[in-house]
Amino acid sequence: MKARLTLSARLAVALLLSAPLARANPLDTFGFGSRGTAMGDAQVADAHDFSASYYNPAGLALGRRFEIAIGYFRATHELETNGKSNAVDPVAGLVGGILLPGKILGIPVAFGLGLHIPDDRLSRVRDLPQTQPRWELYDNRNQRVYLAANLAVQPVPWLALGGGLSFMAATHGTLDIEGDANIIDVKQSQVRHEVDADLTAIRYPQFGARVALGPRAALGIAYRGQFALNLQLSARLRGAISLGPVPTPPITTAYYSLVSSSIDAFLPQQVVIGGSFLPADRLRMNIDFTWIDWSAYKTPVADLDVSLDIPPPVNGWPAGITPPTVPAKTVTIPLVMTDRIVPHIGVEWRALDRANCHGFLRAGYSFQKSPIAAQTGITNYLDRDRHTMAIGAGLTIDKPLSFLPGEVRFDVHAQVSVLPTTVTTKTDPADLVGDYTAGGYIWNLGTSMVVGF
Amino acid sequence: MRRARAIAIAITLTLSSLWSPRALASPEDLFGYGARSSAMAGTGAATSSDFEAAYTNPALLSRISVAKLSLGMLGANFDEEASGDGLPGRIQDHSARGIDIGADLPIPFKGALENRVAGALAFYTPTDVVVRGRILYPETPQFPLLSDRAQCVAIRMGVGADIGHGLRIGAGVAALAEIVGSVVVAADSTGKVGTRIDDQLVATYAPIVGASWEHPWAGGTARIGAVFRGALAARFSVSIDATKLSTLNIPVFNIAGLAQYDPLQAGLEVGWENAKWKLAVGATWKHWSDYPGPLEPTIPCDDPTDCQSLGVTRVGYSDTVVPRAGIERSFKLPAGASFHARGGYFFEATPVPAHLPASQAYDLVRQALVNVPTRYFDTDRHVFTAGLGVSIARPLRLDVDAFAQMHVLAPRTATVEAGEPDGSASTAKLAGSIVVTGIQLGVGF
Repeated sequence: MKARLTLSARLAVALLLSAPLARANPLDTFGFGSRGTAMGDAQVADAHDFSASYYNPAGLALGRRFEIAIGYFRATHELETNGKSNAVDPVAGLVGGILLPGKILGIPVAFGLGLHIPDDRLSRVRDLPQTQPRWELYDNRNQRVYLAANLAVQPVPWLALGGGLSFMAATHGTLDIEGDANIIDVKQSQVRHEVDADLTAIRYPQFGARVALGPRAALGIAYRGQFALNLQLSARLRGAISLGPVPTPPITTAYYSLVSSSIDAFLPQQVVIGGSFLPADRLRMNIDFTWIDWSAYKTPVADLDVSLDIPPPVNGWPAGITPPTVPAKTVTIPLVMTDRIVPHIGVEWRALDRANCHGFLRAGYSFQKSPIAAQTGITNYLDRDRHTMAIGAGLTIDKPLSFLPGEVRFDVHAQVSVLPTTVTTKTDPADLVGDYTAGGYIWNLGTSMVVGF
Repeated sequence: MRRARAIAIAITLTLSSLWSPRALASPEDLFGYGARSSAMAGTGAATSSDFEAAYTNPALLSRISVAKLSLGMLGANFDEEASGDGLPGRIQDHSARGIDIGADLPIPFKGALENRVAGALAFYTPTDVVVRGRILYPETPQFPLLSDRAQCVAIRMGVGADIGHGLRIGAGVAALAEIVGSVVVAADSTGKVGTRIDDQLVATYAPIVGASWEHPWAGGTARIGAVFRGALAARFSVSIDATKLSTLNIPVFNIAGLAQYDPLQAGLEVGWENAKWKLAVGATWKHWSDYPGPLEPTIPCDDPTDCQSLGVTRVGYSDTVVPRAGIERSFKLPAGASFHARGGYFFEATPVPAHLPASQAYDLVRQALVNVPTRYFDTDRHVFTAGLGVSIARPLRLDVDAFAQMHVLAPRTATVEAGEPDGSASTAKLAGSIVVTGIQLGVGF
C-alpha cells in the first residue's frame, strides 16, 4: 500500500512534468540551420532565409523568393562526472521552415515558419530529486519541438521589422484512482482510474529589427520572450486494501490526496544585438552579443501538499508489512543563476564564384560562462563554461533544373562544445554525493537544404 | 521507427513544399475547416479553392494561384442536456474558442509544372489548450464525442497537383500529440523513496489523400471529388511501476486512455460552379465501429484465465454516413470586389448506440464489485450553416468571410443499464444544441 500511495504522488508529479514541452529551446544551444550554426549563431543581422524565424524575424522581409528548407542535425553529449559518462541523451531531429515573401500595397512583407522536430519525441520530461547530479542545461531541456510563426515587413529599404510567436505547451489536471488492491495477487485487484488533463497552450513573443548601413554593413536586434508555467496538479486515491480477491473483506481503507504546484517550464528572455559586415567582396564577418536573463530562472522542483489517512487494520498489519507514512515535505533549495552575455562571432568566405554556382566556407565561435552557481550544497545542478567552435560549408546552385527558376542551397556544419573539466567541492564533508569532477564535450553535426523558387 | 516516420514526413515535406505537422484533428471533424467550407456545411471535396482543401480535399490545393495568409477566429458553445434518474439535466461543458491560420502556397515551378502545383498549411489552435484529455469514469454523464473533441490543436498540410485532362490529385498529413511514459518508484541506496520519470510527448500521424475530376458543363464547371482520411488517435499512456519499492506485491498501474480520436473516413462529393453560383452535394462515411472507446483497464490482463481485474465495457459504436449540401451565391461589386452569401445543411448521425451496457466498479461502501451505468451520451445532429463573404482586389487582395452554424441535437431516449439505484435500467432523455460562429480575414501577397 505504501507503494500505491507513493505511486499516486509520483504519478501526480509525472503528469505534472509530462506537461511541459520544455524548459528551454534546443535552438539556443545548437543553432538553427547549418549556415547559422557554422557561423557561431552570429546571425541577428545576417539571417534572411528560413532560419530568420529563430535568429531575427526581421530578416524574413529580405527574402525575395518563396523558399522551403529541410535539414537534420544530431548533437551527441560526452558529459562526465568523475570520469564516468552521465549518459545524457543526444538531441537529433529535423529542422525546416518556409519563407513566403510578397508585397502588400507595394511594401515587401514576408511570412515565415521555423520548425524543429526531434526524432523520438515532441518533448520529454524527467523528474529527478534535486540532490541527484544532472546537467541542468543539457540533460532534458533541449528535448522538445520548436515551432515559430512570424511576419516581417520592410517599410523602407534600410529597415526591416519582424515579429511573431513561438509555441509551447504544458499540462495541468487531475487524476483519480479508486478500487481495491489485492496485495497478495495483484491481478485480482479491482482498480480503475480517471484523468482530466489539459495540454495548455503557451505562446511567447519574439521580434526584431534590422538596419542596413549600406551595401556592406547591417545591424540587428532581436528579442525572445520569457515564459514560465505555473503548473498545478491534483491526485486522489481512494481504496481498500485486501489480502484476497473480492469479495474478501478488506483489512483497511486508504485515502490519499496530493496537490502539486510548480514552475516547471521556463525559458529566460533574451536580447541579441549584432552586426554583419563585408570587409571584402568575398568575406562576411558577423558578431552578436546575447544577453540571457538567467537570474530569473525558476527552480525546477515541485511543491507538494500531501495528506494521507490509513486506519490500522483491526487485527494489526500482517507480519512484514509496514504501514506507509506521509513523505516528509521536500525543502526546495533555490537554484541560483546569473545573467550572462554570450558573444558569438562568425565568418563566411565565398570560396567558389562561378556563374551559376557559389561555394562557401564558414567558421564560428561562441562562449557562455556557466550561469549556475557553484553546487557546494546538497543540490547538484551540473554545468560548466562552454566554448563552442563550428565550421561549415555551403554550395548554392542557380536554376539547377528547367522547372526550378530559383536556386538550391546545400549547407553542412560541424560543431564542438568544450566544457572544461573542473572540480565541484562540497562544503559538507559528509555530503552524500561528495566532491566530483565534471566536464566534457558536445558534438553537433548537421546539414540543411534550401530550395528557392 | 519514429525516425523513419520523421524522414517520411521530411520527404513529404520536400515534395509538397510545406513544413511538417505537429497537430490534432477533431475540430474540423465537428465543424468543418475554414469560414467558407464551414458556411457550406463542411462541403469542399469538390469545390474548395484555398487552404481549406488541406482538409476537404488536398487535390484541390492545385487550384491555388495566389499566395495568401488567412487568420480567423472560431467560437462554439455547447448546450447539452441529459434528463432522467440520477442525471443533472444540463451538462456543463467547456466552450471551444480558437484561432485559424491558413497559408495558400502556390509553388512557382516553371515549364511543364507551371501553375499546376500548390500546397497549403491549415492550422487551428484553441485559445487556451493544445489538447484536452478527459477520460472520465463511465458513470459520469458526458457527451464524449462533442466538446472535448473540439479542444485540440489541428495542423494539416498538403499538396495538390493538376495532372491534366481535368484530373487533380493531392495528399497531405495530419498529426496528433500523445503522451506515453513510465514512472518507476523504488527505494534508493539510502533507503529513501526515489522515482524515475520518463514521459514523452510523441506525434502520431494520419494520411489524407484526394482526387477530383472536372468537366465544363451547363455554363460552368462540374467536378467530382473524393477524399480519404486515415484514423487519427491520440492515447494517454503512463505506466506506474512500484513493484521494486518493497516486498509488497503492488500492481503496475496503466493510466491510459484514448484522449482524442478521429475515425477513418471517406468522402465523395459532386459540385458545380460558375461566376455566380457554387453548389456542392456529398456524403462522408465514418468508420466509428473501429473506435475502442476512451478508457483502458487500469490493470491490463494479458491472460483472462489468470486475471480478474476490472475490465472496460465496450460500447458498440456504429459506422455513420454524413450527407451534406452547400450553396454559394456570388455578386459582383465595383472595383473588382465581390460579395458572397453561403448556406448549407448536414446531418451527423450518432455512432453511439441507444442502449448503453453497464460498467463495473468497486464500491467502497459495499466492499464489492457493482454495476454502474455507462453514460456516454450522444445524439444525431442536424446542422444548419450560413455565411457571408466579401472579396476585394484593390488596393490589396483581401477576403473577409464569416459563418455561423446551428447544431440541433435531435431529442433521443437512451436506455442505460444499471442506471437506477437498485441496478435496473433507466432511461435518459438527451437533447441540446451547439452554436458555432467564426470570422476569417485573408490577405493576398
